[in-house]
Amino acid sequence: MARTHSLTPLFGMAFLLALPAAAADSSASARVGDLQYGNGFDPRGDSVLSLDADPDGLSWLHRDQPRTPSGVLYAPPPRLGGERLFGDWRYDGLLEIGVGYLGGSHDAQFFRQYSDWSNGLMLGLLSFEAYQPDSGNYLEARGSRIGGNDQFWRLRAGRYGHYKVEGFYRDMPHLVTSTAYPIWEGIGSGTLTLPPGLMPGASAPADIATASANAPRTSVRVNRSRSGLSIEGDVGKRWIAYTSFSNEERNGTRLWGGPMFFNYPFADNGGVLETIRPVDFTTTDLSAGARYAGQVWQFNAVYNGSFFRNHQNRLDYETPFILSPVTGTPAAGVITHGQFALEPDNDAHNLRLDLSRAILGNGRLSLTGALGRMRQDETLLAPMNCQGRIGIDLSPGPDYTIDCADWNTTAALSQPSANARIDTLLLDAKASFRPTANFGWHVELRHYDETNKTNYLSYNPLTGEYGYITENGSMGTIVPGEMGLFDPNNPLYQSYFTHIRAIPYGYAESRAELGGDWRIDPLNTVSATYSFIRYRPDHRERSRLDDNQLALSWVSRAIAQGSLRVSYEFATRSGDHYNYFPYAAFYSTAIPGYVPGADASPFTVDAMRKYDLSDREQHKFRAIFTHPVGEDATVSTIAYGKYNDYSAAIGRKGDTSTGLMLQWDYQPLPTMTLNAYLGGELGKVRMSNVADAEAVVSADPSYGGAKYPFENTWSESDQQRNVNAGLSARRSFGRYRVDGSYSLVYSRGRLDYDYASPGALSGTQQPFLNQLTPFPDNHYRLQSLELGLTRAFSETLAVRLFGRYEFGDFNDWHYDGFRNNLLYDHRLYSDQGPAAHYDASLIGLMLQLKL
Amino acid sequence: MQARNLTLILMIAACGGPALAADSSAAVAAAEPAAAFQDLRKTPSITGNAQAGEGKAVVCQACHGPQGHSMVPMFPTLAGQPATYTYLQLQDYKAGRRHNEVMSPQAQTLSDEDMRDLAAYFAAQVPVALSAAGAAEDLLARGRQLYQQGEPKAGIPPCQACHGADGRGVRAAAAGRGVPWHTYPALAGQQAVYVAAQLQAFKDGSRAGSSNARVMHGVVQQMDTAAMQAVGAYVAQSLPPAKQDRGAADGAAPGSGTDRR
Repeated sequence: MARTHSLTPLFGMAFLLALPAAAADSSASARVGDLQYGNGFDPRGDSVLSLDADPDGLSWLHRDQPRTPSGVLYAPPPRLGGERLFGDWRYDGLLEIGVGYLGGSHDAQFFRQYSDWSNGLMLGLLSFEAYQPDSGNYLEARGSRIGGNDQFWRLRAGRYGHYKVEGFYRDMPHLVTSTAYPIWEGIGSGTLTLPPGLMPGASAPADIATASANAPRTSVRVNRSRSGLSIEGDVGKRWIAYTSFSNEERNGTRLWGGPMFFNYPFADNGGVLETIRPVDFTTTDLSAGARYAGQVWQFNAVYNGSFFRNHQNRLDYETPFILSPVTGTPAAGVITHGQFALEPDNDAHNLRLDLSRAILGNGRLSLTGALGRMRQDETLLAPMNCQGRIGIDLSPGPDYTIDCADWNTTAALSQPSANARIDTLLLDAKASFRPTANFGWHVELRHYDETNKTNYLSYNPLTGEYGYITENGSMGTIVPGEMGLFDPNNPLYQSYFTHIRAIPYGYAESRAELGGDWRIDPLNTVSATYSFIRYRPDHRERSRLDDNQLALSWVSRAIAQGSLRVSYEFATRSGDHYNYFPYAAFYSTAIPGYVPGADASPFTVDAMRKYDLSDREQHKFRAIFTHPVGEDATVSTIAYGKYNDYSAAIGRKGDTSTGLMLQWDYQPLPTMTLNAYLGGELGKVRMSNVADAEAVVSADPSYGGAKYPFENTWSESDQQRNVNAGLSARRSFGRYRVDGSYSLVYSRGRLDYDYASPGALSGTQQPFLNQLTPFPDNHYRLQSLELGLTRAFSETLAVRLFGRYEFGDFNDWHYDGFRNNLLYDHRLYSDQGPAAHYDASLIGLMLQLKL
Repeated sequence: MQARNLTLILMIAACGGPALAADSSAAVAAAEPAAAFQDLRKTPSITGNAQAGEGKAVVCQACHGPQGHSMVPMFPTLAGQPATYTYLQLQDYKAGRRHNEVMSPQAQTLSDEDMRDLAAYFAAQVPVALSAAGAAEDLLARGRQLYQQGEPKAGIPPCQACHGADGRGVRAAAAGRGVPWHTYPALAGQQAVYVAAQLQAFKDGSRAGSSNARVMHGVVQQMDTAAMQAVGAYVAQSLPPAKQDRGAADGAAPGSGTDRR
């Protein structure tokens, strides 16, 4: 006991009074170390497995339990376990090792989503800390869930006020589904082949159904392994230099698609596949910089680089379905494969300089400039991987076939690599003044520009044709002439409307801001900020958007000894003329020789307003009240809301979200805590659309016109209701400690729709008009209960017995029927989706050894 | 995988464990008196009869000087000390948490009421500044630095944080509630030698046994003898003397530490 307390004041005073720089020296900074550590065993990455909270509380200086400036109680500190000496170093260590036993549906998706629980031996924690009071040198090592796929290791060392170094390694699992039944072989690679018994492009539906039913159960997951090293230290008076390196490997699989044209309107034809693609990424980040903190000037210069590498640049998959032409004679070639180009390698560089200087009027001028470049120049894949001749020959009419030899080679590309580039520029100037102790104001000008220098033309020099082969050639195999090509010299294709050039999206954003804050009295402060933002997107439906924003806030400590923080924001957005089709330069219509077809349809309805460019009125509010109750309890209330109203006849019309959270924290003793919280949120998104009149040939884009009649309008309302609740308690009795927690997460989604007439439905839906019923509610409910009992047998040995029981239920109509069948006509799915109900448990017995 | 990691851990433990364990018997602690530890964080301000205390203080003057103005470097000035602080020290001597060949037996004869009255009496006296003659300028300068700003890089906090910018204690009303300011001594005009000796006593653990002593034990860990002497010189000779406004207070509302029955 005495050993413990001899250090407490030293640490307390050192951290609280003497070493503010050291306190700010936490490795939580983005410059040094990873942003966040944690796993299912140690969610915050810093759990202290001390047997007990320190009964002496947080500080010898305070009579009451200290609170944060906003009134929240600080957590009771853990009881220090008696450090040992090694020379003039003091050290402490802990090893936690034990066994775990899993029960119930322990492979359920939600139980394992971000955790890697396992039966048998568990190395829970290995930690070691040492420091040298005279010099301020310190060393900290920590490993958690050692050997598991959710382990992390961390080594921190340094000297307070001088330098710090951090190295880390961590694994993070992410399980997407544990109930996938893909039919393909080669899952995890870039090549998916059909199993024995299935013929690419020629399989009988019954055989495909058998293959699906017999497919082995597979988990789809991605594991992240991240490691890094960083260092920061003073390199002279007022100078600090820092550098960091991190490398992240992502390996695993992900649910993916495989389009082989529509199936709904073409029964026993087409193909919709849910494939599984590989994930094999490496992301390397580098950072180096220096900062100077002088009496008058401060500045920071930093370079950040990020380098992404994908070691699987393509996905080739075999398709089992037979594709048949709706008319005419099929070519000899059969579509048997599809392919995707996966994410390209790319590099990003950014150089940033911040300058800040004290100026007259008790003010400060801050200037920032940054230049960035993002680039990818991946070698491009051939447009197709087919063989022979595909398409449809309508002899003696037109011949809509193509020779794959003209398309399955990189010679069919207009350029060998992507040559894509985006340059960024940031300029920012801010002047802030505090002419009196109670009043301050600031003005800020900011400009950000993102210029896209990408210019890829989809042109085949071997054939002189433009465009992309649609859906691996399947579309042109089913419908004559729908290969996706434009050719100004071929009457068969000279009216084809298709995308032929990459659209170099970019934008510039300029912001001006004026704001001030006024401390009315020692207990009340108000502030107001007005911002004007001009947004200029490239190649979008609008070329200018103006945002006017007004933000007001009030912070008060004058109400019932609590702290109240209230903010409200009002914003309006408007812009120039809305052009529903700004992409003409990037479609075949821009190529000389394009002949408008007699059956040309408009690009979309002219009343469509994409919500990021639509006129909008926005209200936002947030109120946070933290109320200390006596000396040992706190009640916190948070209410918030966000309401957007869009001026759109077609498109998103509005969205709202409103939430309330209550929390009660009670710490009557350092050895006893009780916490409870309850939160709820309601959200709603409303949108409207209009179906085109499929039987009408018209180029009229107007809403209410021949192509988009009012009676084809439909609307949708998506409502979300979320509830979070929890209760946790901890109490120590001598050598015993008990702890428990319960949590509930509930989410319900409700989709309502309406339509003006059956014309709002597509032709394939209209036969089912009499069968239309409301969508069932989707819901997700997950509850977990955790109990633990710890007994100390000596100063260095304790045993912890704990149990975790988790249960949940789930419903999502997107997965309806998948438990029984994953094949529907020519639609083949792989993922059954989460179990409707599950319960899983983990019981662990851990030995805690003080090193 | 887990087995491999366990092997690694056992290897680490096998190599480093015994070497580290060799020093493990050395406890990181200062020896504390056998008397029960006293947590002063919730100690209320005491009241006493200063008039009665005046009569009881006659014997104190032999060492602590007239009206508590010490003339001897090793003996502390009591004039102007918060009543609660003085009362607690007398209790410590009686209970054995502090030891002094003279004070320990003296305190044994005092009743609780005596202690309160004496504390109230000395709190009501006005301290005077001691002469600055003899103190080297560099010593005073370092003392000022330590008292006002501390030495952050060495882990030494500034004294004024708890003892007040003028060395007369922190006014609780201005500093905020929750801290037992009334249990902290005033330092303005205190004997330099006595201050340095007490800092050393906090460091080596010979003065311990209370929550306040634990605070001081941490504070002085990085102070050497020269630093202690510098602080002593500064508080004794460079701080302005207290004025009448202190009265008999504990550093809170004037008069709160006195019961002038």
